Amino acid sequence: MAAGRTLYAKENRCFGKAGAGVDGLFLGILLLLLAVGLTMLYSASFAQSQYDTGYTVSTRYLQKQGACAVIGLAAMFALSRIPPGFWLKAAWPLYGVSILLLLSVLLFGQSVNGARRWINIAGLQFQPSEIAKFTMILLFARLTTGFGPDAGLFRYGVLGFGGALLGILVPLALEKHLSAIMLMGLVAVVMMFVAGTKTKWLLSGAAAAGIFVIIYISFMGYAGDRVTAWLHPEQDPGDTGYQILQSLYAIGSGGVFGRGLGKSRQKYLYLPFQYNDYIFAIICEELGLVGGLLIMGLFACLILRGYWIALRSTDRFSTVLCAGLITLIAVQTILNLGVVTNLLPSTGIALPFFSYGGTALAVNLGEMGIVLSISRNRNKTLLQEDLL
Amino acid sequence: MPSEWKGRDQMASKRKKQYRRLRADTGQKRRIMLCGAVFGLLAFLPLGVRLYDLMVVNYSYYARQALRNQTRTTQLSAARGVIYDRNMNILADSETVETVYLDPHELKQSGADLDEISRVLAELLELDPEWILAQGKDLSKRYKQVAAGVEKEIAGKIREYINGEKISGIHLEPNARRVYPFGSLAAQVIGFTNASGQGAEGIEAAYNSFLEGASGKVITTKGNNEMDMPFSYENFVASENGCDLVLTLDVTVQACLEKQMAAAIDRYAVQNGAFGMVMEVNTGKILAMATLGSYDPNAYLEIMDPKANAQLEQLRQKYIQLPASSAEYADGRTAYQNALQAARLKQWRNRCISDGYEPGSTFKVLTMAAALDCGAIDLDTNFYCRGAEQIPGRAQRLHCWRSTGHGGQKTPQALQNSCNLAFAHIALKIGGERFYEYVKNFGVLEKTGIDLSGESKGVFFDQALVTDTDKWGTASLTSGSFGQTFKLTPLQLVRGISAVVNGGVLMEPYIVSEAIDRSGNTVLLQEPTAVRRVIREETSKVMCSLMESVVTEGTAKNAKVAGFSVGGKTGTSEKIDVFDANGQRVLDKIVSFVGVAPMDDPQYIVLVALDTPSRTTGMYISGGVMAAPTVGAVLADILPYLEVKHNYSQEDLQSRLIPVADLSGMTGKEASGALRQQGLEAVLQGDGDTVTAQLPAAGQSLPGGSQVLVYMGLQPAEQMVRVPDLSGMTRQQASDAAGLLGLYILPKGNTEASPYVTAVAQSPVAGEQVQTGTTVTVTFTDTKTTP
Repeated sequence: MAAGRTLYAKENRCFGKAGAGVDGLFLGILLLLLAVGLTMLYSASFAQSQYDTGYTVSTRYLQKQGACAVIGLAAMFALSRIPPGFWLKAAWPLYGVSILLLLSVLLFGQSVNGARRWINIAGLQFQPSEIAKFTMILLFARLTTGFGPDAGLFRYGVLGFGGALLGILVPLALEKHLSAIMLMGLVAVVMMFVAGTKTKWLLSGAAAAGIFVIIYISFMGYAGDRVTAWLHPEQDPGDTGYQILQSLYAIGSGGVFGRGLGKSRQKYLYLPFQYNDYIFAIICEELGLVGGLLIMGLFACLILRGYWIALRSTDRFSTVLCAGLITLIAVQTILNLGVVTNLLPSTGIALPFFSYGGTALAVNLGEMGIVLSISRNRNKTLLQEDLL
Repeated sequence: MPSEWKGRDQMASKRKKQYRRLRADTGQKRRIMLCGAVFGLLAFLPLGVRLYDLMVVNYSYYARQALRNQTRTTQLSAARGVIYDRNMNILADSETVETVYLDPHELKQSGADLDEISRVLAELLELDPEWILAQGKDLSKRYKQVAAGVEKEIAGKIREYINGEKISGIHLEPNARRVYPFGSLAAQVIGFTNASGQGAEGIEAAYNSFLEGASGKVITTKGNNEMDMPFSYENFVASENGCDLVLTLDVTVQACLEKQMAAAIDRYAVQNGAFGMVMEVNTGKILAMATLGSYDPNAYLEIMDPKANAQLEQLRQKYIQLPASSAEYADGRTAYQNALQAARLKQWRNRCISDGYEPGSTFKVLTMAAALDCGAIDLDTNFYCRGAEQIPGRAQRLHCWRSTGHGGQKTPQALQNSCNLAFAHIALKIGGERFYEYVKNFGVLEKTGIDLSGESKGVFFDQALVTDTDKWGTASLTSGSFGQTFKLTPLQLVRGISAVVNGGVLMEPYIVSEAIDRSGNTVLLQEPTAVRRVIREETSKVMCSLMESVVTEGTAKNAKVAGFSVGGKTGTSEKIDVFDANGQRVLDKIVSFVGVAPMDDPQYIVLVALDTPSRTTGMYISGGVMAAPTVGAVLADILPYLEVKHNYSQEDLQSRLIPVADLSGMTGKEASGALRQQGLEAVLQGDGDTVTAQLPAAGQSLPGGSQVLVYMGLQPAEQMVRVPDLSGMTRQQASDAAGLLGLYILPKGNTEASPYVTAVAQSPVAGEQVQTGTTVTVTFTDTKTTP
């Protein structure tokens, strides 16, 4: 403890400068997850890569993901050295930029698989919605700091946060990016809860959203099919139930110890999206119940340690920002695993650090850099000085 | 309170407020802890439970489903056995063709261009692209067959296309197709395999279990879109190829039989096909078995008879011109399809074993053998035929086929003349009980047990009808004695008569002598099986000489074969149960002849029956006129081939073709000697020292006893002549007509010098241009007298 104190004291003197260490446990879990994630991505994308390249290249997906992982690690390292105060100041401008990016996607975006979500800036292709997730969390933390104890008031806790949320959700709705809307809505609700919005408002909001979803679904027409595909996938194994049945076959056939690393059969193009949204099914098939539970445990540890970092933070901004970022990882993880195991209907949310997707990996790692940065800055006095 | 204090207080409270705003409050931390509990622990619990449920509780279910999903079972079709004749000529073999099918699901998943695929496949397979497109779009199945029986060459092109364009979802599957190199030869005996490769008729059906073998399979894990997996599971069940069959059938004999039967159909304008067979009398081995009105097993669905085809086409034309939705159209189509099916069944039918017919006079052989064997008559028993007679126990007067009667005759003449009245008396002498017993022992009441599918047995009288003459009269007994008013299959008759001539033992006929598996082991060996002794050996001997006398002196003189002793019996049967549209019994007749050779040691029996010869030929419709020469021709063809010892008489010699020796360089004396030795005669022309030319040239064949022009120092004036029409001429007339033109005559068939024995066929045909010295083969038949 003594060493910890000294560190703490030292840190008081030099806010914003990396002198104190980051949280080693969190970093360790994170790097372990990333390593396992890349390994499994290689295994899961192997067959698809071969098929795509006419049996010449097996690492097509691993290469891209690895490159993004390197970028993400660099971003993580850099961001872990930026003091939270920077983000406090940057929250509003970044929020504005991300809304502009979202709107520009609508105008100049590129279509992939029929969805216009990508944008090309200087040869780099990325999804602005990934950035928007972060800036929304950032802005919520900024707002929380501004509202302070008044967050319980309706005009702050509901109208304030709600307005900020709408600014992001409306462009996303125009993109018809439903999974992002759902994800951000959930994270926003959790952050509002943490910020202090009265539970009754959140519950009524949730009820309203629920009613809206039900009406929306019943007007969309194909909802019946989706529900059937979720509850009874075996009724249409060739078409709507195909994806989830193939996922269940993969998981179930893994058994306790799995077929062994690299030995999945379902990845040979039986299970679509085996290297992104459904990568966990391949993990279960190859590593079995043991491997699946271990990886779930790693995620749980990362999440718990993340919240622990939030708790150890003294200032409101860092605490809420850290809790928001960890919640984002947690919600994505849980929704993804729920879909892959068919506990939840299909949503299209990737598994952090595992699923193929460069932007998401890099952004996720960058966000973890911020969490690491928060883990080293636990100064209350200088924080105040800095803010004042 | 002083102002600076106040100010400081204000300052302090502002700072405090600010501090409260900036500092995380405890409520917040509590709520974060709650989040941690929910997202870090609680939310993972249902996921963990779910994983346990999927991977442990329901493991076997999902493992099975996954395996079913990932494995491909490839049927390894067993090669169907080859069918050989007894000289190992291939009668039926298999070749590989391919089935093309689509996997619509796979096509969709791989994003294939269905329009393009349909276009290319349609072009290669000559199909409608729209139809293929519809198959490819039907997602309800994963196997949509597009074409079957695709030849290797086209299948190869499809493979190239698939590989070139990297299309997943088009598959090819090898299948076996049956090939019958001899086409329609012995078609009903060999049979064919249906679309699914199962034997459907004949030997293919009867020996299906031997021929088909056991199909094997390979179960492999395969990726979707047929990706190979590095870690795969494979299970292999080897296929077991079918056994080869060796038949007793001999294609040469079969071809001779069919050739002569076809010629007879032509010559006598036979309306309803023909059937016949050749069997070894001592073993029951079938050497040939034919039903004409045949089909090509390579295309068994097509009707081969042009007349039947024309009728079918008429039926089809009648309905396809009607509007497609009308009731008349449907009726017309049904009628057409029924007629087509009936025509198919008819051409597939092996009449030798499947259809009973009234044997007529050929059956008299069995009656006489029974009578002699049981001592009811002997060779000196006298009969008297007035042409018609009131037989006790018969309601109607019984007429003999010759209305003027045969007069007084002894036993041999009764058979030679085929006298019905004599046989009625013979039957009465035998008595119903004994007659029935003999008939039964001759196998008339039972199937022969031949190893072919679809055998039937005839319809004989109930025992009481024959035996209880007090109650039922003698009509059945007497009619039965000369082969009328009951039916038996041709094979039953042939088997019975074989027993008469082979020493008295009824044999079980068979056609497959051996089944050999692919490693060369004999898995089935059939050997001659004696069923029972029917008559004594001495009786058999007597019967042989009697049957020979039918050919030498009786109704079957047309069946003579030069150099061989032939016996037999003619038959002309009525169709007792066929009626025309007005309900009148048709007057159609089946004429037949059963011939046996050689009579000193009978080995082969030949039956030929011609169904409904036309009245238009002007020939007397009878077995003696039509069937006997046909059988004679068959025997003349096959006996030398079967290496039966011949014994040419001086007379026979004229019916033999002798290849002329090369005489060049010989002196006149030497040439004459050489020719004499060959059975030919030399006529020297010119006065040179050595032979300079000869007519006919060396190597050409001449009838025995013919003259050969030998030129000494001269050159022959070779010239072309037109072959004269010899039909209707007697042998002497034909010989004269040919001699005038410098042609030779080789007489065949009935060689009796009688004004009734006239030429009915010749080769080369009339009008053909040939060189002088050519031999014309002429078939003579007694066209008037013999029944």
